[in-house]
Amino acid sequence: MTGRPVEDFVSCNPEELAQKCSLSYKALVAVRRVLLAQYTAFPISGADLYQELLSSTAILSTGSPSLDKLLDSGLYTGEITELTGSPGSGKTQVCFSVAVNISHQLKQSVFYIDTKGGMCVNRLLQMLQTRTSNVEEQASVGGGSVKAVIVDSVPAVLSSMLGGKQNEGMSLLMQVAGELKMIAKDFNIAVLVTNHVTQDGNGCLKAGLGLSWSHVPRTRVLLQRVENPGVSSSSLRTATLTKSSRQPCHLVEDFDLCNWSDERNSVSGKRKLESS
Amino acid sequence: MTARVRMAENGAQVVSRLEGRQSLKDVEPNIFPVDGGPGQGDIVEFYGMEGTGKTETLYHLITRCIMPVQSGGLEVGVIIIDTDHHFDMLRLVSILEGQLARYSKESDGSEAESEEGVCSCLRRLSVVHCCSSAQLLLTLHYLENSISIQPSLDLLIIDSISAFFWVDRHSGGESIACQEANMRKCAEFLDKLRKNYGIVIFATTHAIMRNYNTTSDSGLSDVPGSSSWRWKSADSATDFNKPYLCRAWQRIITHRVLFTKSQVSKDHKQVFSAACTSIMTKGVKKCLFNVMEDGIKFLCDK
Repeated sequence: MTGRPVEDFVSCNPEELAQKCSLSYKALVAVRRVLLAQYTAFPISGADLYQELLSSTAILSTGSPSLDKLLDSGLYTGEITELTGSPGSGKTQVCFSVAVNISHQLKQSVFYIDTKGGMCVNRLLQMLQTRTSNVEEQASVGGGSVKAVIVDSVPAVLSSMLGGKQNEGMSLLMQVAGELKMIAKDFNIAVLVTNHVTQDGNGCLKAGLGLSWSHVPRTRVLLQRVENPGVSSSSLRTATLTKSSRQPCHLVEDFDLCNWSDERNSVSGKRKLESS
Repeated sequence: MTARVRMAENGAQVVSRLEGRQSLKDVEPNIFPVDGGPGQGDIVEFYGMEGTGKTETLYHLITRCIMPVQSGGLEVGVIIIDTDHHFDMLRLVSILEGQLARYSKESDGSEAESEEGVCSCLRRLSVVHCCSSAQLLLTLHYLENSISIQPSLDLLIIDSISAFFWVDRHSGGESIACQEANMRKCAEFLDKLRKNYGIVIFATTHAIMRNYNTTSDSGLSDVPGSSSWRWKSADSATDFNKPYLCRAWQRIITHRVLFTKSQVSKDHKQVFSAACTSIMTKGVKKCLFNVMEDGIKFLCDK
């Protein structure tokens, strides 16, 4: 009657139901068992899950030594990593660099979902050309199974749905989150998403899309421009770890968008947010 | 009616019901008040914003539960229902390894804690991934059987119970009652599980609702009443404490632990705090902790 026959049926006591509908108790129990076998998620022993993870988890290097250090050696498969930052902080450039590195260096395929028309093929080619001058090699990047999904950006299409009575937009947002998590877990894929930032009451930057979304990514990195007086546009950026289950938060690393794989830019190394 | 239900029990169910499950009262004296730990059939809600240490605390408690008695654990079975796809087995194992190594060093000075020790602990843990509230409900029904035949199974963890809130809100139908139908059934069934089998349930809830009408005079003195808003008084640290899940769930909670991020200490470590209130004891038990490489470390407070 409520349109949820399976849930209602399973929650019923088969004995009462048998009496009410004068159906066979045995048949009802059998139907119930089939339904449960059909729709439930089955428990896996922790030991098996651990063995499975050990053999299937991969860590995809981003190609930037300083960013890798921040992420504890790279993007982990099975997880969602989020890049946040104000416009011009280099989120899209980092996505490009990661995509190029995974497809060229690691020879794995990347799915790039561009929701804001920021995809620039010329820029990708340019990045590839700095790595190799061999045209054939440039054309044959990737090839392996899909190991990474990059979404640039999540709020571009979803933030317009939020606000107002919120239900629909929030529901859609959480469904997207659920799908991304499932893709990451079931196919062992590293998911990299970008998000914008908002300011909270104290003027601190925090990730956009609200509180419900804030629980979604496992790791979050805040990108910021290095304010360099005298230089109008610099490619120097700082990356701050704002959420992680592996590393202490508020680790800060410097990197250069132009010299992505350059080690020298990380000489300033780790420093604490508070001391800067 | 009840007599007939009892008759339908099988032998294993009778044993598990009569023998009773091991109490988890001492699972973590730092978090739960003295004499107020989660006993048989208690339901604990872990409540907090993102990054306030809820899941980290769960790892700690799971580790305590699945470690063997000689290493200072409780040696009981745990089922974790992962609705957030958030459970990090590698993190749990690194905490587990750290704890096992510490105890073996303390006991006989040896450091030879092997893969085997970790695996034997992990065998006490089962993991289920759920991706909708309907699946959660059916899975709970399915798990009833495992719970009834395994008396060593002591703890059911749901991380998190609020995961499907928004999705249900939208797709559930026109009235709030329809939208909450699945969660209400889950809560009712959890209530049945804890009453019939004495299993302890831990569940996390994301703090996503701002409490617009927080009263500033939130004293900690009033006795928790029977209303579902009884927890309100204890949470002065945050205004995101509005209970938003269905009444059926609010009603069965016996303990509530509120997580907040505190200040950063002098040595640049993030300090987290957990405040536990329960319907059995008065007042709030508060504790502070750091999150370290090998799990959480409690700070002694005066």
